[in-house]
Amino acid sequence: MRALNIAATGMAAQNMRVEVISHNLANMNTTAYNARRAEFSDLHYQQIRRPGTVNAADGTILPAGVQLGLGVRAAAVSMEVQQGSLDQTGGSLDLAVEGAGYFEITLPNGETVYTRDGALKRDGEGLIVTSDGFTVSPDITIPDDAREISINADGEVYAYFNGQVGGQLLGQFQLTTFTNEKGLEALGSNLYRETEASGQPNVGDAGEDGRGIFRQGYVENSSVDAVREITDLIEAQRGYELNAKVITAADQMLGATTQIR
Amino acid sequence: MDLTGYVALTRQVGLAKELQSVANNIANISTTGYRREGVVFAEFVEILPAEGGSVAMTEARGRYTDDLQGALVQTGGTLDLAVEGEGYFTVMTPQGERLTRAGAFTRNADGEVVNMDGHRLLDEGGGTIVIPFEARAIGVSSDGTVSVDGDPVAVVGLVTVEDQTELFREAGVLFRSDGQTFAVEFPKIMQGFLENSNVSAVSEMARMIQVQRAYEYGQKLLDQEDARIRNVVKTLGQQA
Repeated sequence: MRALNIAATGMAAQNMRVEVISHNLANMNTTAYNARRAEFSDLHYQQIRRPGTVNAADGTILPAGVQLGLGVRAAAVSMEVQQGSLDQTGGSLDLAVEGAGYFEITLPNGETVYTRDGALKRDGEGLIVTSDGFTVSPDITIPDDAREISINADGEVYAYFNGQVGGQLLGQFQLTTFTNEKGLEALGSNLYRETEASGQPNVGDAGEDGRGIFRQGYVENSSVDAVREITDLIEAQRGYELNAKVITAADQMLGATTQIR
Repeated sequence: MDLTGYVALTRQVGLAKELQSVANNIANISTTGYRREGVVFAEFVEILPAEGGSVAMTEARGRYTDDLQGALVQTGGTLDLAVEGEGYFTVMTPQGERLTRAGAFTRNADGEVVNMDGHRLLDEGGGTIVIPFEARAIGVSSDGTVSVDGDPVAVVGLVTVEDQTELFREAGVLFRSDGQTFAVEFPKIMQGFLENSNVSAVSEMARMIQVQRAYEYGQKLLDQEDARIRNVVKTLGQQA
């Protein structure tokens, strides 16, 4: 009774789908989070009667044969790259990316990772860091006596001081794009790492070569759509129950077999 | 020879296969682009030596693929493509060209449009479709024209086969075509949508109940046949 194993693959797939949905819902308020989606694909087919087999002495050929599938597997859990809505916070270091592009972050071990979470902070020395305290490249330090910080759409950071008319340029943030953003490896804490699949990072100024622009005073919301997740959850739950029913049916058929004698 | 038992057995074996196909359909109820499969049974006739007697046994002879349109679900993904109506996308696998209805594509590191297993999507002429990394807006029109920032770069071709039975299923929601494929004259592609599996939970459940009950009838028949033979042996044994 292969139906038992096949239904088990179906239950495992639906179970994984519920896990992905719950992860999305748990992150519905995570800054710049992109919803994930589970993709499934069928397993291989048993060739019970090979199509094209000669069926009779006169050369009649079986047109279709019999192929029976063996269930389902998870093909991918892919990130849906979508612009989240921008939330106005008014914070001078809240920097949302409108369009494509990632901030470049340097971890304490020297590794370069990427994020879209632009809720930036200042550390004790005035250096601009992420919420977890990792440095945003290029290093930009804000002087203690700066009155106000202004970041324009191109990512240029200006500091204004008391008694000075013009602003002082402290540095410029850049954006990194990837050919295949879905290929980035998610590390948690809103961080991503470059992989073979994502392609080389393309660093450049905001607004050029398809890169987005910066918006000071905003953060990017999570792109999770709660209504869609809930409808998906209903589908996944019913799918799970359907597969469980198949297991029950296969079990009862086996039971009937054992009762013959 | 206990023929009754063997006739019933062919049916039982067939029903177990049918349940396998029901289980596979239900397992793939969330697989993008999945096509419902079914088994066709045919009788084959055994001629008995006795005058005018014959007995029909059943065997799984063929299969069918239901090419009913699956529901289109809006995802908003730029490279999520759904085919409305007839036609299949062509993807290049290491084993050669394959057809598929699963339109969840993405870009690989080289900017080529690939599916989730990394197989390249082919355009009308059989070439790969490359989208440069600086692309800001990727559009796919309903006739399959792919445009990058307003400039057309390729046309996604849809193909079909003359005879559905020429399509053989392979893992990964792929179909292999041994015959000739033809370009669809008026393709209709929807960007930002995916085609759901065309398995209907209600009809699969109904089929499953039917299979289960038929299996139980078969068992009952075998049971009664067993009792009948036992009875014969017993009765004849007493008289001897």
